[in-house]
Amino acid sequence: MAFRRATKKEAFIPTDSTGDIAFLLLIFFILTVVFTNETGLVVSLPRADASEEGIRDMLSNVFINEKGMVSIDDMIVRPDQVAAVMSQKLAENPFMIVAFKTDKETPYGVVSDVMEGLKEANAVKVFFNTDLELPGVAY
Amino acid sequence: MGVLDARKAKKDRGLNKIPTASTSDVAFLLLIFFIVMPMKRPEVGLSMVLPAKSKASSVPVRESNVATIRVLASNALTLDGELITLPRVRLAIMDRLAGNDQTIVVLETHPDADYGMMIACLDEVKQADARKVSLKTTKR
Repeated sequence: MAFRRATKKEAFIPTDSTGDIAFLLLIFFILTVVFTNETGLVVSLPRADASEEGIRDMLSNVFINEKGMVSIDDMIVRPDQVAAVMSQKLAENPFMIVAFKTDKETPYGVVSDVMEGLKEANAVKVFFNTDLELPGVAY
Repeated sequence: MGVLDARKAKKDRGLNKIPTASTSDVAFLLLIFFIVMPMKRPEVGLSMVLPAKSKASSVPVRESNVATIRVLASNALTLDGELITLPRVRLAIMDRLAGNDQTIVVLETHPDADYGMMIACLDEVKQADARKVSLKTTKR
C-alpha cells in the first residue's frame, strides 16, 4: 500500500531577513567609511602616457602650485621645512611614497628644492602624479 | 459580542498602516551609496627612486654611458648638447639604448623651466624603456 502525502509542500528560500541583513551591512559601512577631505592646493597636473597606477594607501601628498607654494597634509610649508616634516612622516610609515601633485607650470626649481629635502629625509621613493583624463595628449 | 468589542473591531478595520515592504529596497540603496562613495579616482603617475644623500650611493660611471637631456629655461631641450624636439627624444634614447644597453639617462632641468616639460621628457624616456634614469636636483 502506497502512502501519499495529502498536501504537497513547495520548497522556498526565506527572504524575510533580507532587509535585516541589508541594514546590518548598511550600519557596518556607515561606521567604517572614512571621508577624508584633503584640500591641498589647486593644481593642473601634466599628462603622461607612461603613467602607472600608484598604491593610494602608501602615498603621501605634496602639493606645489604654479606660484611655488608647497603644501603637505593641508599645511603650507617652506621648501627648507620639507626634510623635517618628511622625516617625521617616514618614521610613522617607512614604506611611504611621496606623491608630487605639482602644477605643470610650476618652476622646476621649487620641485628640485623639495626633492633635495626628501633626499635629506631619506624619503627617496617618489611618484609624480599625472592627469588621468585624455591619455595620449602630451604636455 | 458586546457593544464595546464591536466598536473596537470596527476601529481596527479602518486602521491605516505604514507600508514597510520597500524598507529593504531603501536599505539596499543606502548600502550601495555607502559602498560606492569612498571609491576615488585612481592615482596615476610616474614613479622614481631618488638617490639617497649618503656618499655610499654615488657610483662613478663612464661618460660614454651617460645620455644627458637638458631642459633649458626657455623649455627648449638638448640631448648631449644638441637641440632636440620633444617628439624626437624617445627615438633618440631608443637609439642610444640599442647601441649601449648600459646607457644612463640623466635629466637635468633648469630651475626656471616648467615642471610640465620635465614630466613630458621623463614620459618620453620611460616610453623609450630606459631603465636607468636619474633626475638631477640642485639646491638653490
